[in-house]
Amino acid sequence: MKLMIDRNALLRTLSHAQSVVERRNTIPILANVKLDVANGQLSVAATDMEIGLVEITAADPASESGSATAPAHTLHDIVRKLPEGSQVELVLDAEAERMIVRAGRSTFQLAVLPTADFPSLADGDMPVGFNMAARDLRLLIDRTRFAISTEETRYYLNGIYLHPAEHDGVSVLRAVATDGHRLARAEAPLPDGAAEMSGVIVPRKTVGELRKLLDEAGDGDVAVSVSETKIRFTMDGVILTSKLIDGAFPDYERVIPVGNNKFAQLDRQAFKDAVDRVSTISTEKSRAVKLALQPGTITVSASNAEAGAASEEIEADYDDTAMEIGFNSRYLLDIANQMEGDIAELAFADPAAPTILRDKADASALYVLMPMRV
Amino acid sequence: MSIRRLPSGLVNRIAAGEVVERPAAVVKELVENALDAGAGRIDVTLADGGRAMVRVADDGRGMTADDLTLAIERHATSKLPDDDLVHIASLGFRGEALPSIGAVARLTLTSRTADADSAWRIQVAGGDVSGPEPASRAAGTTAEATDLFFATPARLKFLRAPKAELQACLDVLRRLALARADVAFTLADDGRTLLSALPVAGGLIDARVERAAQVIGRDFARHAMTIQAEREGVTLSGHASAPGYDRANGLAQNCFVNGRPVRDPVLLAACRAAYADILPRGRFPATALFLDIPAEEVDVNVHPAKTEVRFRDAGLIRGFVISSLKHALGRAGFQTGPAASGAALGAWRPEARFDPRPSGAAVGRAYAFQEPGAGFGGLPPSARPEPPAAAEPSPEHPLGAARAQLHANYIVAQTATGIVLVDQHAAHERLVYERLKAARARGEVPSQMLLIPEVVEIDASAAAALVAEAPALRALGLTVEAFGPGAVLVRETPAALGEADVQALIRDLADEVQASGGAEPLSERLDAVAATIACHGSVRSGRRLTQPEMDALLREMEATPNSGRCNHGRPTYIELDIADIERLFHRR
Repeated sequence: MKLMIDRNALLRTLSHAQSVVERRNTIPILANVKLDVANGQLSVAATDMEIGLVEITAADPASESGSATAPAHTLHDIVRKLPEGSQVELVLDAEAERMIVRAGRSTFQLAVLPTADFPSLADGDMPVGFNMAARDLRLLIDRTRFAISTEETRYYLNGIYLHPAEHDGVSVLRAVATDGHRLARAEAPLPDGAAEMSGVIVPRKTVGELRKLLDEAGDGDVAVSVSETKIRFTMDGVILTSKLIDGAFPDYERVIPVGNNKFAQLDRQAFKDAVDRVSTISTEKSRAVKLALQPGTITVSASNAEAGAASEEIEADYDDTAMEIGFNSRYLLDIANQMEGDIAELAFADPAAPTILRDKADASALYVLMPMRV
Repeated sequence: MSIRRLPSGLVNRIAAGEVVERPAAVVKELVENALDAGAGRIDVTLADGGRAMVRVADDGRGMTADDLTLAIERHATSKLPDDDLVHIASLGFRGEALPSIGAVARLTLTSRTADADSAWRIQVAGGDVSGPEPASRAAGTTAEATDLFFATPARLKFLRAPKAELQACLDVLRRLALARADVAFTLADDGRTLLSALPVAGGLIDARVERAAQVIGRDFARHAMTIQAEREGVTLSGHASAPGYDRANGLAQNCFVNGRPVRDPVLLAACRAAYADILPRGRFPATALFLDIPAEEVDVNVHPAKTEVRFRDAGLIRGFVISSLKHALGRAGFQTGPAASGAALGAWRPEARFDPRPSGAAVGRAYAFQEPGAGFGGLPPSARPEPPAAAEPSPEHPLGAARAQLHANYIVAQTATGIVLVDQHAAHERLVYERLKAARARGEVPSQMLLIPEVVEIDASAAAALVAEAPALRALGLTVEAFGPGAVLVRETPAALGEADVQALIRDLADEVQASGGAEPLSERLDAVAATIACHGSVRSGRRLTQPEMDALLREMEATPNSGRCNHGRPTYIELDIADIERLFHRR
């Protein structure tokens, strides 16, 4: 194998690959990427046995076909440190079991492992397939991923639950994530062919990798294929295949309250800033803040026997009975950060019941937050 | 096979299995009998760790020939004169000990009452009685059991090495001796006297300290805190080790309920909880705690060996013991105890290897420095000298006045009677931790309600025990409800735990609640969170402190409970007496 390629093109594809590869591995081959050169094209593959990434990039037509593996992080670091605009040459010395990397006056020799050892994530049959806008997928992820649980004992919450649903008679593709304290639900128009999909839970790491790739996908389309155990995303030259979380996502519809009838509307930015400022005073880990609702105003306050107390009044469109309710300020900020409109709408029932938050300008996302007892 | 009534010899041997399991049990039963007989002096003689012989001689009121014959019958006792099992004033009452011992060993009783003109002797060997016959003895009773377990060879096989059995006998006698400071105790094995406790006169507290010194050790007595507390008719008195005096095992945790030595799980757990963040893991306090409680509130008739009791309100006792100990520990405040300064002193001994003659190079360097204008204006100070305006050490400030900071972590302070070395990080960590704990104790713990209440399946009795503790758990931010038999529903978790593993938390709690009652595991977890915060929020080693900062730290340590130990149980300071320092320099 002899690969000749522009440094920037190689760096771009290697940075995608190395992000999938774990830093520490018990199986040595998993620390490597697999390079395939054929017809003037380079294909880079990386996997951690849960996620598989394959990306195809154009190389110099003078390249010679062949394949090899090389340590992912080392190769990435080398290419990253090469000067911008340089030409890189990768040659496999099969006898010495070395990959020789040349660029300008630098030469590197890297240990390689047999290509045959590189695991392939068997694709199997993917019965459901659809195309959706990268923009829609980005929104589904952004609106929900902050609520993904990190508690590994509840593995079935460690991802985003993606499934087709009906909302007010409209078919939507819905993403849900919850950690048991809060829940985020986002919707996008249901793409053609997605209706046959049964609900799947996409693991957190996959969500993270996919989100990075979507940034580069711009306004294009993403092809999604789904089987019972795997999901695959294809976008301009990149194929990301991931195992799904094998578990049942809880019946989340039951925890979204329907009877919350105390509505408050307030300026999102003012609310966010007030919570952020007031929570400075609550030093404990939970960073509790209290919202005191009164007709016309909401007072955000926090107190701490050690540090003191803080309160800030914000104007609010609220005309129901007065009540006080406590929240974890980090959770409030997480949600407020996901909203883009000017007005946030909060729907309360009582201080011990879940509260609904939504962006007045964006009906596609909904957040449920459980209060704190402070 | 038809059913038959077992012969009484066999019945006794079966019963003996519960009462007499090893020589220490024989010692316990015989010495308790002696105490119940009003003895003022009890001599225990063993041979081969008690396996060959246990002899207990007392100067109590003794028995007549008729009494002797009855004493070796099962369920015959002088200790329940009015058939009242509630108000038991004696240590024994079941009437099982002597026949049980007689069933498994050769037992000889020799006894004389004060007004009789001769003594009587009776013998039982493997259940066969001979006597009574006249004998000679001063007033009192001698009970001698030889060839222990010759009648039950299976039991014999389970005995441990003579040394281990001897140790167990000593432990038993120590406990009994702690309980009765007014009685003299001796124990000898194969002619060697291993314990000799003289009767101690004087007030109860002083007598107990003196007895503890004889039995547990002088060190313990020197570093013991006096406990004296009363709540709702229950009193707790005695002594417990101050922080810094600790043991590698729990054997020195002596508890007495109405004068009876017990190893009760409720009391032991309470001791552990009280010392939880003061002792390092795997270290145990030494205690001699006496719980006096109305007879109606406690059942001592739980186990034949009577080492466990049952409290009517275990939660009350537990809370009472913990709070009394914590109170005393708080008062003992910043004491580090002997282990630390003792070890430090050892480390300071001048080493013989040290060669006082300077090497040639060193001499050269020394001369070089004395040259005019040498070097760079003097040595960089290894200790930062402080302006001489520093406050004079005064007796009100036991930690003295700060003089210097060494290696950017150790504060040297001069006290009225010596010097103190403080580890600034460890000390400040404890101060921050105590402040966080106090803040938690003042208010309710904020709890995060769960969007999806979590059902945890545990066995029915654990679930019931947990639900019974629900109010205590709620105050700590955990709300649980009964959810049918064999499960609990968790609605809220302490917010400080973040996204907690509820299943594991509940299981751990259930285990602990069943074992000892109380919500300690939860508060321990919250304390652990506080400890992590404290660790990050405290002055690091490597940070230079100014004189006022150092003095402020010392003053705060004096005012903060438990400041002698960091959260992990390590000492925060050591103290060297001026006398110790003088000894190091052979001035004394």
